[in-house]
Amino acid sequence: MTTEILIILAVMVAAYVAAKAARLAVEIAMFAAALAGGLAGSVLGTPPFGELARHLVEGSITYLDVMLVFFTATFFMAVVNESGGVVYAVRATLRVFGRRRVPALLALMVIVLIPGALTGAGSVSLLVVGAPVAMALGRMGLPPKRVAAILFIVAGLSAAAPPVNIWAMILCAGTAIPYVGFEFTLGIPVLILGAFTVLVLGLRKGPGAASGPGELPEPPQGMTWWRVLVPFLVFFGLVAAYRVRPFATPIFGLALEFTLAALAAILISPKRIAVAALARDTVKRLLPLLATTVVVGMLQQIMTATGVRGLVSFAAISTPLVLLFLLLPVIIPFSEGVLTYGAAAILGIPLIWFLDSIGFHATVVIAGLSLLWPLGDGLPPTALIGRLSAMVSGYQGPYRDFLKAAWLPWLVITAAAMAMILFSTKLAFLVKWSM
Amino acid sequence: MRRDRALKLLLAAVLAGLVLWGGLPLRRHRHFGVPIVKGPGVTEVRKLSDYSPGLEGTMADTSVFVLQGREPGGKALIMGNTHSNEPEGMLAALIVIENAVVEKGTLFVIPFFNNSGSRNTRPGDGYPLYFDVATDWGARRFRFGNRDASPLDQWPDPDVYIHYPERQLLSYIDVRNTNRTWPGRAGGPLMERVTFGAMELIRREGVDIAVDVHGAETMFPVTNCIVAPEKSVKIATLASMTVKAAEGFESHVEPSPAGFRGLSHREIGDHSEAMPFLLEAPIPFLDQPTGPKTVRLLLDGKDPFLLSLSKKKKLFVPYDEDGWPLEKRVGQNLSVTLEIFRQFTKRTAARPIDVRGVPRYADVVASGVGRFLADPSKAAPGAVVVN
Repeated sequence: MTTEILIILAVMVAAYVAAKAARLAVEIAMFAAALAGGLAGSVLGTPPFGELARHLVEGSITYLDVMLVFFTATFFMAVVNESGGVVYAVRATLRVFGRRRVPALLALMVIVLIPGALTGAGSVSLLVVGAPVAMALGRMGLPPKRVAAILFIVAGLSAAAPPVNIWAMILCAGTAIPYVGFEFTLGIPVLILGAFTVLVLGLRKGPGAASGPGELPEPPQGMTWWRVLVPFLVFFGLVAAYRVRPFATPIFGLALEFTLAALAAILISPKRIAVAALARDTVKRLLPLLATTVVVGMLQQIMTATGVRGLVSFAAISTPLVLLFLLLPVIIPFSEGVLTYGAAAILGIPLIWFLDSIGFHATVVIAGLSLLWPLGDGLPPTALIGRLSAMVSGYQGPYRDFLKAAWLPWLVITAAAMAMILFSTKLAFLVKWSM
Repeated sequence: MRRDRALKLLLAAVLAGLVLWGGLPLRRHRHFGVPIVKGPGVTEVRKLSDYSPGLEGTMADTSVFVLQGREPGGKALIMGNTHSNEPEGMLAALIVIENAVVEKGTLFVIPFFNNSGSRNTRPGDGYPLYFDVATDWGARRFRFGNRDASPLDQWPDPDVYIHYPERQLLSYIDVRNTNRTWPGRAGGPLMERVTFGAMELIRREGVDIAVDVHGAETMFPVTNCIVAPEKSVKIATLASMTVKAAEGFESHVEPSPAGFRGLSHREIGDHSEAMPFLLEAPIPFLDQPTGPKTVRLLLDGKDPFLLSLSKKKKLFVPYDEDGWPLEKRVGQNLSVTLEIFRQFTKRTAARPIDVRGVPRYADVVASGVGRFLADPSKAAPGAVVVN
């Protein structure tokens, strides 16, 4: 069986490489890999050819909810931007903080952390507050490369931050461990690592540093703080309402919450918004990301149906313990780059069961692992958060250069995560504090 | 320009064809009916919506088979397909429905507890849509479902699921998991209405014992076991010891954690007089490090990767070349259930539960699961319920 699976894996890799060599987009290359893997699997026995289309279609809807959130959140921010809210907020922030760089950077870090912490998705942080924060950082003299690096790392940390950490939730759901005890276990490392990141990458001024709003465009007449804040209050109000009164509040879901917030922004905008045109532009802008999300689901489905996914999981689990610890800083981000959240189930669940059984503290290990996974959101082929960071910060240079700019926070986060895993029992007090 | 447009139209047509070719089987799976033959002991068939009206007319409503005994006694509820990708529970429940004769007491059996989940698939996980169990008269086909209810029946998910009434934070996906939504609410999300229906059944009918039958991965520490809270632990221990001594298989006892909310083995006991038990039989199909997710793996439970991991002592159950076949899993669930009834009857003589005609572990292992499934085409008129 292993030989057949290795052949299928080789066919998938070959199809991906061939598509990339033909200068096709990454999404098309991944689709080619999924299709080739499925066909190779059919030739070798599984899945049957007649079921191939079903697997591709079924896989394509794996992340349908995530795609809806991507669209509605981006559309919401596009409305706020179009109404002049973004430029108004950035001008005001720069006016308030002036030359006080450290508090300005820390405040911007907290602003990026909040949406992701509440929703468990770093992409939501970027889509909601990424553009204004990027603009503010740019005004503070940071080049787009470092802006993108800061956004990538902090948005990743926001996804790991409590109260909602989807990797930890998937692991808890799959390992029958209650999703409790993560507030300090994740909150403290996230705040320390986030502060480290913004200070290391943001303290040094670039040549274009300015202390005030300067020559930023003027917001439209009639724009006020209330007009900026009301749409956000609608969104966070809806999120908070379910937290505060869960049994009396209907479940709206993030997609509808963003849509209602966008509706509020349209209604109170000081200038008329061309809704249909803006929605069309948003879809155009998001198309590569949405296509990646569709194809990742297909790839996962084919990998599972053919046994490739099982082989990957088997290879990780059967690695000797010391070697496993040495490889975790590579395996975990890489798995996220290929499988996104699916990686938590494939590698994470068996890993947690195994480490728990040999005396590691499962909750702390889960927290440690969930600091490593967001790093993988900058790695190809998916690179969801990395690509969004580049998009909202306006970075146009080579993708790998902006990733290189994040090397020091990446290393420190990896060291912190590995320390949490290796010394999980000694850090169990964090779980007790959280209970 | 015209060529571009033609190419786009062609691609759109190919895509539409692919969606149709791939989508129709998913639609057929959702609407595929499983015939269940009312066995000699079935006296009535109700709907779960009789206990939870909010389920009426939804895909989550499901059949409740009542097997009223010849003499009064204790009452028990058996639930299968709480997780519809663990078919050993559903098949054990079906064998009870199609074979059992109750001498004393009453059985309530819900073979498709999460009916919506059994009509769902698991995108990204490459599951088969159906599996066939071989019988003496041909193959009997079943839907293979998902752990969670279909988003077509309950959507959207919250960003985090807040358990009722304890307010414990659970994964967003658990809002569709009927082993996280206990004890449920009459007007809550659909899966809370399902568990509320079962709680109402337990409370109104005065159920003494509730058995929730599952399967669990071989790499999961809580596998091959009976999970029981404090009030059920004595009976669980006696049942575990008896099946080991008399029938030669292991099913140890795991305590139900008090701090983990929403599970049947915790909430049923805390919110009613009934004693809950959750049975877990090892199902290699659900493990992550396996070969392709095929019907064969589901049925015979043989996998070379798991065999290798077993040699490295990374599994929580003994595992050899024989795997963990379906008949072992179903047989184990049946024997443990019957033994729980027997131990309960020994301790509570005033409320006996005496069930005959249900095969035990050795019978199912020797003859196969299909040997105990009835042929719906030969059933008397009106004796088949399609779920």
